[in-house]
This record gives sequence, C-alpha cells and structure tokens, in this order.
Amino acid sequence: MSQLLTAPVSPATVTKLDNGLTFIHQYLPATPVVVTDVWVRAGASRETEDSYGMAHFLEHMIFKGTDSLPPGVFDYVIENRGGIANAATSHDYAHYFVTTAAPYLEDTLPYLAELLLNAAIPDDEFVRERDVVLEEISSCYDDADWIGFQALSESIYQRHSYGRSVLGSKLKLMNQSPEGMRCFHRAHYQPENMTVVVVGGMTQEPALELVNRTFQQFSTRSNYPELEAVEEPLLAGVRRQEIRLPRLEQARLMMAWTAPGVERVRSAYGLDLLSVLLTEGRCSRLIREFREEQHLVQAISSNFSLQRESSLFTITAWLEPQQLERVEELIRAHLNELQNTLISPGELARCKRFLCNDYAFSTETPTQLAGLYGYYNTIAQVELAMIYPAQIQSFQAEELRSLAQNYLSPHSYAVTVLKPC
Amino acid sequence: MTTDNEKQVTAELQNQHIHRTVLDNGIVVLVAENPAADIIAARIFVGAGSYWESQEQAGLAHLLSAVLTKGTQKLSSLEIAERVESVGASLGTDAATDYFLLSLKTVTSDFEEILELAGQILRSPSFPEVEVELERRLALQAIRSQQEQPFTIAFDKLRQAMYQNHPYAMSGLGIEATVATFSRADLQQYHQTYFRPDNVVISIAGRVTPAAAVALVEQVLGDWEAPAVPLPTLKLPALAHQPGRTMTPQQTQQSIVMLGYLAPSVRGAEYTALKLVSTYLGNGLSSRLFVELREKRGLAYEVSAFYPTRQDVAPFVVYMGTAPENTAIALAGLQTEVELLCTSQISEDALQAAKNKLLGQYALGKQTNAQIAQIFGWYEIMGLGITFDTQFQKAVADLAAPELQQAACQYFLEPYVSLVGPESAVNSLVTPVSI
Repeated sequence: MSQLLTAPVSPATVTKLDNGLTFIHQYLPATPVVVTDVWVRAGASRETEDSYGMAHFLEHMIFKGTDSLPPGVFDYVIENRGGIANAATSHDYAHYFVTTAAPYLEDTLPYLAELLLNAAIPDDEFVRERDVVLEEISSCYDDADWIGFQALSESIYQRHSYGRSVLGSKLKLMNQSPEGMRCFHRAHYQPENMTVVVVGGMTQEPALELVNRTFQQFSTRSNYPELEAVEEPLLAGVRRQEIRLPRLEQARLMMAWTAPGVERVRSAYGLDLLSVLLTEGRCSRLIREFREEQHLVQAISSNFSLQRESSLFTITAWLEPQQLERVEELIRAHLNELQNTLISPGELARCKRFLCNDYAFSTETPTQLAGLYGYYNTIAQVELAMIYPAQIQSFQAEELRSLAQNYLSPHSYAVTVLKPC
Repeated sequence: MTTDNEKQVTAELQNQHIHRTVLDNGIVVLVAENPAADIIAARIFVGAGSYWESQEQAGLAHLLSAVLTKGTQKLSSLEIAERVESVGASLGTDAATDYFLLSLKTVTSDFEEILELAGQILRSPSFPEVEVELERRLALQAIRSQQEQPFTIAFDKLRQAMYQNHPYAMSGLGIEATVATFSRADLQQYHQTYFRPDNVVISIAGRVTPAAAVALVEQVLGDWEAPAVPLPTLKLPALAHQPGRTMTPQQTQQSIVMLGYLAPSVRGAEYTALKLVSTYLGNGLSSRLFVELREKRGLAYEVSAFYPTRQDVAPFVVYMGTAPENTAIALAGLQTEVELLCTSQISEDALQAAKNKLLGQYALGKQTNAQIAQIFGWYEIMGLGITFDTQFQKAVADLAAPELQQAACQYFLEPYVSLVGPESAVNSLVTPVSI
C-alpha cells in the first residue's frame, strides 16, 4: 500500500509508491491545465570523470525514443494536443515537464513515462544528437556572461562537480559511447531516484492511478560507480582570475562565496534575504549606491543559488574596466558593514516583504508550483518548499549579521574579471 | 476532425470574461476578475512606442521608459522606489515596438496605493535633469553591449536592410547618434504628445471585481483631461522590396544564419495564415525546421522562426546558429524549407497538428494574471478590440491548406539574408548560391 507522508495542512500531497517512486500532487480546481514534471536525481554530479557531460546529453537522448516509440512520436503527440514539453539538466537533477489541457494527461503521460523508463539511445541518433550538443556548447562560448560564470565556478569549486559545466566538453563527449550512456541511464532512472509531480486541474485519485499505471516497467538496473563525497578545500584569501575576450563591450566583475547546502536550509534562506538587501530594487544598497548615486556600474546583481551539497552566493557587476578595482573595494566595504552593523528594521521588513510576495507571484501557475515541489524534493524534501514564507518572516537582524560573518567574507572569495582584449 | 472532447477542452481554456468600460475622458478599462490568487496585475498601455518615433527620435521612447519612474512633481526617484519596494510590489516600464507599457503587480491589499502611484507617474513625471543624464549614458552603453550578442547583430542588420527609413528598422534602444542628442525637453515633448487619457488602456486582472476596479481607476485618473489638439498622425515611408545579403564578420564560435521576409501586419488578409506557417515551421520540438535541420541533420542547437504581431508590415524570420563550416548548408536548408511551402501544399495532418499546437499554446499563454491583462490590453491599444482574441482563434481553426500555400507564395519572395560569423565562413557567401 501507499504511505502518506505529509500533514493534511499542506496544499500538496506526497505519496511514496510501492516501487519507491515519489508522487507529489496538488489539485487546482480553477485551472484547466495540468502539468507533469518528472525530476530525476541524475544530474552532472553523478558523472564519473570520463562521462562528464553525459547527464545533459542523456536528457537530449531521452527524446530519441524507445524500442516501441520511434524518435519524434512523443513530440508530435504532445504538441498535436496543444501541449508543451521540455527538459533541463543541472548538477543535482535532470527534469522533464509536459503542460497540456487537463483532459489530455491521460493520452500523454504514458508516452513520457515510456521515454524516461525505456530510453533506447539508438547508436545513429547518438552520433547525430552529439552534433547538436556540440552546437549548444559553441553557442555558450559566444556568450561572455556564460564564459565568466563558468570560470568563476571552476575557480570557487576546485574539486566539487559544481565547478564543471553541465554541458561537458567536446573532447569528453567524443569519447563517450551509446552503451556507456545506457548504463548511466539504467543505473539512475530508477524509481527511488524519481519524483513525479502532477499539479493542476486533475484530482488526486485519477492522477495517482495514472502515475501508478504508467511508471511501472523500469529498465533492468545496471551498475554505475557510486561517487564518493568530495571535500572542497576551504577558501582562504582571494582567488583571482582575469580573462580577456574579443568582442566585449564592457567589463564584468564576478565575485563568489560558497554557503551551506540544503542540510542547513535556514542559512540558505537568510542568504536569500541578504541578496535582496544588496541588489533587489532601486532601494537596495548596491544598486542605490553604485548605479543611482555614484554612476559606477551599468548594472549590478547578486544571486543566491540553493544547491544540494553547497550553495553559491554571487555578485556580478557590468561596468567600465577602469571602475573594476573601485567597485570591488566598495563591495568589500559593504560586506564589512554587514558583519559589523545590524540591518535596520525598515530594511529588514522590505526584504522580507519582497521575498514573501515574490513567493506568491512565482507560485501562480501549475508549472511554477510543480517545478518548486520537484526541485525541493529532489535536493531535500518537498516540505521545505512550503515553509519558506514563514521561515523568511522569522529572521532577525542578529541572525543575518552572523550569517554575513560566517559566509560573506570581504577577505575570502573567488573573483573573475572579464576585460576587452 | 474535432471530437466532443476537444471542443470541451477548447471551451474550458477560453473561459475568460473581460469587462470593458470607457471613462468620460477616454480611458478604456478592461477587467478580468480572477479570485484564484491574492494578486492583482495591471498593464497600462499608452499608444506610443518606437513605432511613433521619427528617425531623429530613434530610442526616445526607450529613454522615456527609463526616466519615467524617476520623479514626479511630488516624489523623488528614491521615494517612488521606496513606495513600491516597501510593499514588495513591482512597477516597471517598457517601450515596446507598437506601444508603451507601465506594468504593476501587487498583493490585493496594496493595489490601490500602487495604482495611485502609477497614476502620478503617468500624468506628472518630472524627468529630473540628473536622471535623464544618467539613463541616457546607460542607454548608450546598452546600445554598445547589444553588439556582444551574435543573434542581436544579425537581427539588427536584417531589420535595417528590410525596413530602411521605417521605424521598424531599428532596435528600440535607438542608435548612438540619436540617443546622444536627447534632452529633458525631448522627453517632455514626447510625453505631452502621447500620454493623454484618450490614448490609454488600463487592463487589470486578479482578485478584484470589475466595479471596484473601474471605481479605482476613476478615482485615480478620472479627472485627467485630454488636450484639445488631436493626436498626431503618422507619416511613414513606403517600403521598397530590395532583398540582398549582409555579411558581418565576427570572431565567434558559431555562425548565425538569418532569413527575413516582409510579411503582413495584424490587419493583413494573410496574417492568420502566416501565423500558422510560423508555428508549423518554427514552434516546438515537432516543428518542420527543428525536425529537418536539427533532429535529422544535427546542424543546430537553436533553429526557429518568428513572426511578431505588428501594427505595420511585420518581419517573418527564420534563423539558426550553426558551425562556421556549415554556414552555406544552413542557409540553403532554411531557404529550401521556406520555399517548399510555396511549391507544395502541406498535408491535412500537418495542418491540423499546426492548428492544435498554435491554439493550445495560445491558451497556455493566458495563465497568469499578468498574461491575461497583457493580451487583452494589447489587442485594445492596437485598435483590434478584445474580441480579436476569439476572432483570431476562429480564423486559425478555419484555415485551409491552400490558403497557407497562397500566402507563402505571395510573401516568401527572395529573402533578405543576414550572416554573422567568422570572416572565412561568411564572406564566401556574398553572392546568392543557387539551391
């Protein structure tokens, strides 16, 4: 029998199926749309050294069919019913999502399950699709911000897989085989690694029945090396790199700090607040001072990215090369202030209000909700998605100051600078 | 074939009721009540935008959008930001090609306060000198930064070739030569000319009744009077069809190959047919270009088509990014696929699939309050009226394959071509190749 894991107060229900698959569901009576989002713990972090890039390449190959489903049939079935299908891969996950009018879920979900469970990875399609992935890599190398972020990630994560590009490299991809990819697929696309989220205009019972029926015939498990946890050496001092690029019209200053992973999610939520304090809106400290008052930057933003094993806090400025040193120095001064001076009640209230409203604004559609639930359940538990607003509301200035002291050092960080040739 | 099930699905997806009211001063208010979430989104449209710029004014609407929220007769830039950010609302501006937009989103209880602020911004912006200077400098930098993206370079060159002296020739940012000359007085002049109640549509969606929403707009903007002078009429140059090729050598990893055709405005007889052609060619994983050029030949990661809905002659564009050594093959491949639409009729199956895709995705594009407010407000400001929503869907459903072929033959003449990529790859293609 299935076992209910969550308290009834939650808007979503979580059910563990007999085969180990997690099913998350939320019924939205007002919407005629239903979204299915399947999350698999099979991201780039699961790759051994010779298979770098494979998790993402496999995401492409999933769409190339199975023994009973020729390439293109799935795409046609979804789109011919007015639906949308797509997928994405990161370090901690790969996920596949389909949006259709609710009555069509019955017609479309069996196809999605068939692709995910029984991917054939045909040899000829493998060779052809590799060219597509190589073009994807080339297009990234025409994007200065991508190049800069990649270099920054490599610099701050010297050993952890979070430092590598999810896309892999041409050299690695050319040495991989369809057989190796089938092995990766059969090892990881197994029920205990998967979360199927269904949100929208379909009630729980038929959705559960449908998922139970379609996510049954998993491939025979293969062995794939389990990776050992990597200890990332502590960052001490400033890790600096400078990259010169042709065709660059303005410089970039990109700074990064690592922060706790999802096991200390409260720290992560606090760092979300600090990111808003620094660069969200014209009242935020860095935009107000650097863009509005001192005219030092074209734009500045910060971002806190919650990841399973280690989160990443970044600050990026777009500016003239001659302002690079001054802006970096001023950012350090702001971080210093965060460690020494408590945030005012007004500022704290503004940051909390922003994040709580942003949460409301980004849970308006079934697509957004399904993504939120699937993501949290893949890196931790879905419950973390629900407690977010209450957690944000409970922060005090002292706790944020101590987070800044622990994680946003003005003396230890990685910095990547892009300059025109 | 349409089954009962399909009819039911379509009916459910279309179930939106829009209340339309015209205030005494000419403001059109559209309201879609949607109690699902504790949110209200509003889109305030002004009949302005880059389409209304003379050649000397290229980029003026964009600069106006950057400075508009940076001061009113009562409030400074920072005070405006504080009012918005202290309640976690969003208030943004955008100078689109065919209209000017002020967008807001709040939780329900803050809507009145933020709408009042938006009213002040619309009616009495102060355009502080120091803010004009700051945003003008940043706009000039943004124009330069756009050149970092190969796609943007390719599309810029294509547009210039296709539209010559027409306002659609330029990106909304304008060009350095024009933006460098703009002053506070230019912004005031543009604002006075176009920001008037009889040139405004306010579209609201969310947890609010039509009566309450209309009363609120009346309270905030009801005493705004339209000037006696009529709105200026546009004098636009006639477009000459002069297809050709532009080559832009750049040190890039990929070549961008782009083909453009002059295609009908939203009022053109073949508009719907070409919308469907654009879907058939370039929308989604089962589209013709994706299947033929990416899935079967591995030529590209990104390959697509777009045909934006425009007041005036619109660009119909197909493009892809490809390895430099494949530039010529990509160009021939794209051109072959487009021309095939004229030389042969698409099958009934393909026609039906394209319709299902277009109509299904159109419905999926009306999920959030902001999306609903956007689409109906846009149709209203374009002069199409809110019924265009259903007319368009019916017109798509009624299309027959010969109409697509006829539209393709009429508009897919010799293409304008824009190539960006390594010198050796693009320069060998200066003259058209026969395919």
